[in-house]
Amino acid sequence: MPLESNARIAKALAERGYNAEREAVTLLAGATDPAAAVAAAVDCAPDDALRITADHVREAIADTDESAASPDEPGQSPVETEGSGDTGAGGTKAVSGAATTDAIDSTTADSAIADSTTAGSPPADSGTANASSADGDRARGSDLRELEVGNDMTGRSTGTGEYTDFVTTFRDRYERLSKILRGRVNHRPAEAIADMPGGSDAAMIGLVNDVRSTKSGHWLIELEDTTGTFPALVMKDKGLADVVDEILMDECVAVEGTLADDAGILFADSLHFPDVPRTHRPGGADRHVQAALISDVHVGSDEFMADAWHSFTDWLHTPEADPVEYLLLAGDMVEGVGVYPDQDEELEIVDIYEQYEAFAEHLKEVPADTEVVMIPGNHDAVRLAEPQPGFNDEIREILDVHDAQIVSNPATVSVEGVEVLMYHGVSLDEVIAELPEEKASYDEPHKAMYQLLKKRHVAPQFGGHTRVAPEERDYLVIEDVPDVFHTGHVHKLGWGKYHNVLSVNSGCWQAQTDFQKSVNIDPDAGYAPILDLDTLDMTVRKFS
Amino acid sequence: MRPDDERYFARIEERLDEAWDVAETAKEQGRDPEPEIEIPVARDMADRVENILGIDGVAERVRDLEGEMSREEAALELVTDFVDGNVGDYDSREGKIEGAVRTAVALLTEGVVAAPIEGIDRVELLQNDDGTEFVNVYYAGPIRSAGGTAQALSVLVADYARSLLDVDEYKPRDVEVERYAEEIALYDKETGLQYTPKDKESKFIAKHIPVMLDGEATSDEEVSGFRDLERVDTNSARGGMCLVAAEGIALKAPKIQRYTRDLDEVDWPWLQDLIDGTIGKDGAGDGDAAEAEGDADGGDDADEDADPDAAEPEPAADEADGPPRAEPSQKFLRDLIAGRPVFTHPSEAGGFRLRYGRARNHGFATGGVHPATMHIVDDFLAAGTQIKTERPGKAHGVVPVDSIEGPTVRLANGEVRRIDDPEEAKAVRNGIEKVLDLGEYLVNYGEFVENNHPLAPASYAPEWWVQEFEAAGADVRALRDDPHVDLEHPTVDRALDWAREYDCPLHPEYTYLWHDVSVDAFEALADAVAAGEVVEGVLAIERTDAVRDALESLLVEHAATPDALRIPTWRPLARSLGIDDGLRKEWSEADLSTPARGYADGENAIRAVNEVAPFEVRERAPTRIGNRMGRPEKSESRDLSPAVHTLFPINEAGGPQRDVAEAANEMDDTGHRGRHELQVSDRVCPDCGEHTYAALCPDCETHTEPHYECNDCGTVCEPDEAGRVECPNCEWEVTAATYQEVDVNDAYRSALETVGERESAFEILKGVQGLTSRNKTPEPIEKGVLRAKNGVTSFKDGTVRYDMTDLPVTAVRPEELDVTADHFRELGYETDIDGEPLRHDDQVVELRVQDIVLSDGAAEHMLKTADFVDDLLEQFYGLDRFYEVNERDDLVGELVFGMAPHTSAATVGRVVGFTSAAVGYAHPYFHAAKRRNCFHPETEIEYQDDAGWHRKTIETFVEDRLDDPRTDDFGTLVEELDGAIEVPSIDERGNRSTQSVTAVSKHPSQDHLVRIETRRGRSIRVTPDHTMLRVVDGGIQKIAANELEVGDTVPLSPSQQNVPMDAATSTATDGRIKTDEVTSVSFLESDVEYTYNLTVAETHTLAANDLSVSQCDGDEDCVMLLMDGLLNFSKTFLPDQRGGRMDAPLVMSSRIDPSEIDDEAHNVDIVREYPLELYEASRELADPEEVEELIQIGEDTLGTDGEYHGFDHTHDTTDIAMGPDLSAYKTLGDMMEKMDAQLELARKLRAVDETDVAERVIEYHFLPDIIGNLRAFSRQETRCLDCGEKYRRMPLSGECRECGGRVNLTVHEGSVSKYVDTAIEVADRFGCRPYTKQRLKVLEQSLESIFEDDTNKQSGIADFM
Repeated sequence: MPLESNARIAKALAERGYNAEREAVTLLAGATDPAAAVAAAVDCAPDDALRITADHVREAIADTDESAASPDEPGQSPVETEGSGDTGAGGTKAVSGAATTDAIDSTTADSAIADSTTAGSPPADSGTANASSADGDRARGSDLRELEVGNDMTGRSTGTGEYTDFVTTFRDRYERLSKILRGRVNHRPAEAIADMPGGSDAAMIGLVNDVRSTKSGHWLIELEDTTGTFPALVMKDKGLADVVDEILMDECVAVEGTLADDAGILFADSLHFPDVPRTHRPGGADRHVQAALISDVHVGSDEFMADAWHSFTDWLHTPEADPVEYLLLAGDMVEGVGVYPDQDEELEIVDIYEQYEAFAEHLKEVPADTEVVMIPGNHDAVRLAEPQPGFNDEIREILDVHDAQIVSNPATVSVEGVEVLMYHGVSLDEVIAELPEEKASYDEPHKAMYQLLKKRHVAPQFGGHTRVAPEERDYLVIEDVPDVFHTGHVHKLGWGKYHNVLSVNSGCWQAQTDFQKSVNIDPDAGYAPILDLDTLDMTVRKFS
Repeated sequence: MRPDDERYFARIEERLDEAWDVAETAKEQGRDPEPEIEIPVARDMADRVENILGIDGVAERVRDLEGEMSREEAALELVTDFVDGNVGDYDSREGKIEGAVRTAVALLTEGVVAAPIEGIDRVELLQNDDGTEFVNVYYAGPIRSAGGTAQALSVLVADYARSLLDVDEYKPRDVEVERYAEEIALYDKETGLQYTPKDKESKFIAKHIPVMLDGEATSDEEVSGFRDLERVDTNSARGGMCLVAAEGIALKAPKIQRYTRDLDEVDWPWLQDLIDGTIGKDGAGDGDAAEAEGDADGGDDADEDADPDAAEPEPAADEADGPPRAEPSQKFLRDLIAGRPVFTHPSEAGGFRLRYGRARNHGFATGGVHPATMHIVDDFLAAGTQIKTERPGKAHGVVPVDSIEGPTVRLANGEVRRIDDPEEAKAVRNGIEKVLDLGEYLVNYGEFVENNHPLAPASYAPEWWVQEFEAAGADVRALRDDPHVDLEHPTVDRALDWAREYDCPLHPEYTYLWHDVSVDAFEALADAVAAGEVVEGVLAIERTDAVRDALESLLVEHAATPDALRIPTWRPLARSLGIDDGLRKEWSEADLSTPARGYADGENAIRAVNEVAPFEVRERAPTRIGNRMGRPEKSESRDLSPAVHTLFPINEAGGPQRDVAEAANEMDDTGHRGRHELQVSDRVCPDCGEHTYAALCPDCETHTEPHYECNDCGTVCEPDEAGRVECPNCEWEVTAATYQEVDVNDAYRSALETVGERESAFEILKGVQGLTSRNKTPEPIEKGVLRAKNGVTSFKDGTVRYDMTDLPVTAVRPEELDVTADHFRELGYETDIDGEPLRHDDQVVELRVQDIVLSDGAAEHMLKTADFVDDLLEQFYGLDRFYEVNERDDLVGELVFGMAPHTSAATVGRVVGFTSAAVGYAHPYFHAAKRRNCFHPETEIEYQDDAGWHRKTIETFVEDRLDDPRTDDFGTLVEELDGAIEVPSIDERGNRSTQSVTAVSKHPSQDHLVRIETRRGRSIRVTPDHTMLRVVDGGIQKIAANELEVGDTVPLSPSQQNVPMDAATSTATDGRIKTDEVTSVSFLESDVEYTYNLTVAETHTLAANDLSVSQCDGDEDCVMLLMDGLLNFSKTFLPDQRGGRMDAPLVMSSRIDPSEIDDEAHNVDIVREYPLELYEASRELADPEEVEELIQIGEDTLGTDGEYHGFDHTHDTTDIAMGPDLSAYKTLGDMMEKMDAQLELARKLRAVDETDVAERVIEYHFLPDIIGNLRAFSRQETRCLDCGEKYRRMPLSGECRECGGRVNLTVHEGSVSKYVDTAIEVADRFGCRPYTKQRLKVLEQSLESIFEDDTNKQSGIADFM
């Protein structure tokens, strides 16, 4: 298998006392008879050379193996996942000469070539990969495709920044989220509870207006509904303290308990989040088809990893990537302008439109028949306040490739029966900052996403980090339970399932920036999580 | 001390005694809180230091060392004493280090601030990973008040002590290094640093610092990476540590380096890299490269002297590189804001030309500018206007000097002329098309010493030339005496003769700026001149653009006709071009050598000139100094806002005006007038036991004493020695303040009666809402009546004050001070500076150290104060009048107190005259005596203790910023980071929430706040003494918050105060061009523990840019009339908060000891002539220390008989008040007008790139404003229009939960989008970068996206079809 063959080649060269360029190793691995090629390459290299270069190899291969596969020959998978390693026979042949994702590792010879991690994915079907050759020939299920976008507010922003717009937004949030909770508790409005006699049992659903600890270590939660507010006291010994830690301002919760004797406060017995029902059964495609979930491309940044991106798009052209018919981009296509002070000094492309043009060029590398959906992020040239509408016409014109769907952040995308909630993820910063480390951290961004699912809102807290643009409805509410929740923004890779909802925070395509360095964040760059839409299994491929 | 000086001080002290006796008699009557004068005469600094530290033996040692060495050196010297156990009683090593560190800080702060005690928590010894020990110094927030130098020195002292005690260096772990960087950045974001080190710098410091800097957490904001470190106790920012590292080490590296050089045990070679600013610049990043470099420097002592040059181009660099030049620096341009023009871009031709010299009104962080230039720059400069400069310091106060060259301009008719007369400047200024050159900029040598800045190449000036002339053999003395010879402005013939005869460089008068033209232009000009013709003595040459440009760059005066340029003074030009009087060019192109051609890549023709000219031609103006306007000058009375006549509480009864009469008339439920429940002190009469709030027993007229009764147990307590009162049972502090029903009506009426005044004597008598002092001792209303009558108001401590920008002056003419020689003789002046008897009003007289010049406004104010004091003595105390002034001449010879911000010591000064400039001129030593080392105005603002931040500091903060309200009304929400900055805030219920702001300072709230609400639903709560803005006649006016009235138009506020924070006390940031109307002004009891003050970036950067010199420029010190202070000041009025005692004259110095003043003033040079060596050294970019021996500075005379006199100057000026009286910044209308003027000026000045100015205004002013407001909008809180209740989030019910009233936003579209159009327009008009335009465009679209309804947009005609 290529994994070993690359490693073996590097090793073989080392034994002969040579270092090698990674391209050279790849080329050698691609030769019909690698062993012979290695020998030839070594012969071919000048006596004083310490390093086998690609040129040496080409020379050697040309001499010895006229019939070797040309490096650029299409149709051969440059990438392997662990699972596909056992495709056996075609193994060596499958490695083509193009710079592959694994090339870096291959030179070091000691690490795995395909640095892929899998989430229990089945082996990629290499059989089919071999069956099809070039892009044009690929029989991809264009006519079988189903793609629908919901909750898109692009072009439908009706807010004019008035006070009433804000009120409408929050009311909508309350109404839609309280509906979810209503079945679970016997809700009474704050006004009514205030009139109830002391000692009675009561329950209230409201937006969290305030959470604070009392001197004695209990927690006071003030809930608000459309009639007013009412305080609930969570005793520290009730076993709810852990839950209280998770509460964010302005999310919708239900509290059940007993009224104090003076009826001024509710002693909480239980606390409910809208949450995703455990019984949630995700949908799935009827056929084997995949979607690549990526985000944070940051084209235009000095740190944009063009090579990794090329590897990724190259791979998309391989037979192995044939099932990848969808590409979902969760924001930050470009690095943007004026996102932080003196940003221009760190921009490779200073012009915002040129950034999008460059991005469009990069997007063109993606097979033409791929369905692309993208939402904006905080680096994109749209308003920062959420919900963010999709790009304006000027940028849409630039991105006129693939007939990409450009929708708002957040938006739900229904792909062949799989509901994907796409959200850029700015609120993750806040969730991570506010919640205890074990519940949300940058190292496990998906856990922070679980919290959002639990709250059924992508950015509950108002007044803090997240900016809110008031609209006629709260587009940030997760009204319908998605099957997949896809975010980015924090540049960390993480995924996992919460109540059967697959949460994926895709990494990024931008290497560590000075800022990230300064706050000790090591981004996961160059990964592409590939989702099987029929099984909702996911494979993560590394391209850097 | 000379007998003459003795007599001088005796005179002052005699008058002081006279006043003292009167005041004592008055005070003894017991009508005041204390029956004695409360301003003691200060003893010496050594005592203060010992007392504040409580370490025995320090004072003695300090006195020993004083005079022998500087305080910094003494601090280091004391380290050995501590280590050897000679001083202090410490057994442990950490104790010794601690004692030494504290003493160092105390010495440098002269024992007047709490920093040495509270700012250094402890010193401990910890273990390095290799098992060795290291020193950890644990700093606390109050270290801030020590100032950067003391902070930095404390580290050096700790290191020195460490090395003497054989403790190893601190070896930081990598995580700790990273932590420092993140933490300093975090602290800066949250609280603000004057100087923000780049991460690389922070890391570099952390890596190299030999002792560990640690400290207690000063905020709740935590670092996100590098948490839970073993050797760092907290995850929060450690404010003290951050200050020491950033404002101490990073900022004061040059100063510290001076001391490390003198110490063998301590070697900090890495400081050089900090000074050079190479950290963070080179790509090495991790500092390794820099480290290596640093080590190399340290290892090679021979390199030491060359070190300072490292940042500059190598003097011996390849010839083709051109002559040595000071490296241009962009720093001063940072955070340029709208309305403050740039005068010279960094080192740009056509800008201010550096000339060395000290004028008599110069030399203490000042820069001399020709008064004609002041007018030419559209009056933006006036005496006292602060400018940010490229070098040698960061900021200068502008002083008018007319003995330097004025500006050169091109008029609309094409004529180019130099203007050396301010009147001419005014006459032609409308016809100016281009300002080709701003003239000379006078900087004294001492400035370079003070800032440890390498000398920059000097302009070729007569004083330099004349020395070369003399050296060449000329009999200069004879020529000086020759009435027909003017050595400064010789005739053409003479200048040419001299150059030929003596083989001496051409006189500067006829030396043109050859270094500004290229060799090509030089050749073209030579050809043009050779082809010209001389008609009636005027050379006419063909007019081409190239030739014209060359002449303009050279600053050759000429006139223009449509096809010819006519040069009247052409012979020196022709000669310099190698052309003789017959217009014969005596050389050909081939004669020019290759080096001359290639010099500075052919851009500098100076070599070519020297090759063809028959004499030597020097570089005329090799150094241009970039600068821009900082703060305008100040001269105005210090009023509390709201203004207060009497410190008598009236609750809310006085209405928004706090009218005592109104309070006295208010009828309560029982039909009694003027009875109010007031919190005042409970005092008891020692004779009859009667309880009262008054200082005098109403029954037996005996002075009463405060009565301390514990609220809880009722025990009557007595104060201990320290004045603290603690209940022995309940163990808490007890105050004399109680709630009492006070008959204000009676108090008011009887006060009127006592002083025999009627209500008609004054317009209004304003009291205070409540007292802030601990015991709530009220002032007798009588004093207020008389203040109101005389039109003065009281500061918080009972004194009447007037603020003025400090400017130094060492010699004056009686005439310019609007007094006569007679006055001066009466004051004891006998001779002029040349020793001639003082006879004429225009003789120049050396000013004595404690003599001051009042601005016209101050004089007027002091006259009123004198009348008030006289009335007080006569009508209240029943004594004789003391001042008896009729006109302001009567003030001459009277004594005043001078005080600098943040200090607690006053200095006695004597009035000698008046000036129309809006500044306070005094001897540099007087200014320095008032100060303490390195008290930046901003420094002590955020003085923190456990209770939070000081209220006093708000005031100062506000003061600092209020001299530029227009800036603020533009909403200078210039946060450096676009990223969200969040700080914890506390809402009404004491709950914490995280709020986003740009930069804040937080303060404990006052007892009361003023709430102002406007029609558009915005409201703001500010401290009552907060200055607000009001729109009057299209202009914006400052007004005390409580003086705002319903119906007033206030400018719409910027985002700052909109940021959802509780009790946001926006600091005058509420000015707007768009206006709003006040609908209610109310006073409420403060219900929050803190008020938040948003730091406008301008302030920020002022601080950041001020750096080492900030305290001298534009600092407003105040003056008080002596008797007023003696009679009316009482500590009992001071607010009961830490910092409340700041700015109060707790002690007074009656005579200045030059050794004890801020040492900055010691770096004023006091010679009449600079040596030739200085000029020569400047061409080599030498370190100022190299010529130190040759130029006497103040420091050299310390401790000698000459310390009080002999301050000579190199340059005279006709009048110290020349130029505009006020900067145009103050006279122009709204912000837009100022910005237009700023951009217009930018177009006009050759040395200014208007696109860059526009770019920066957008970048630092508009964009942050828009971005900040936009952010604030999308996370704002709301407020009830009816009851003022605030909501963090919009209530679901839509209406106010408290009162059912209308709730509205606090940030509206208007405040977000107000500058978008202007910014876009400016960006277009001035051709800004596409990057900037795109940012604006993206923002504009964001605004549309938020504020426009997509479905309602009419996108085209189709919508109507």
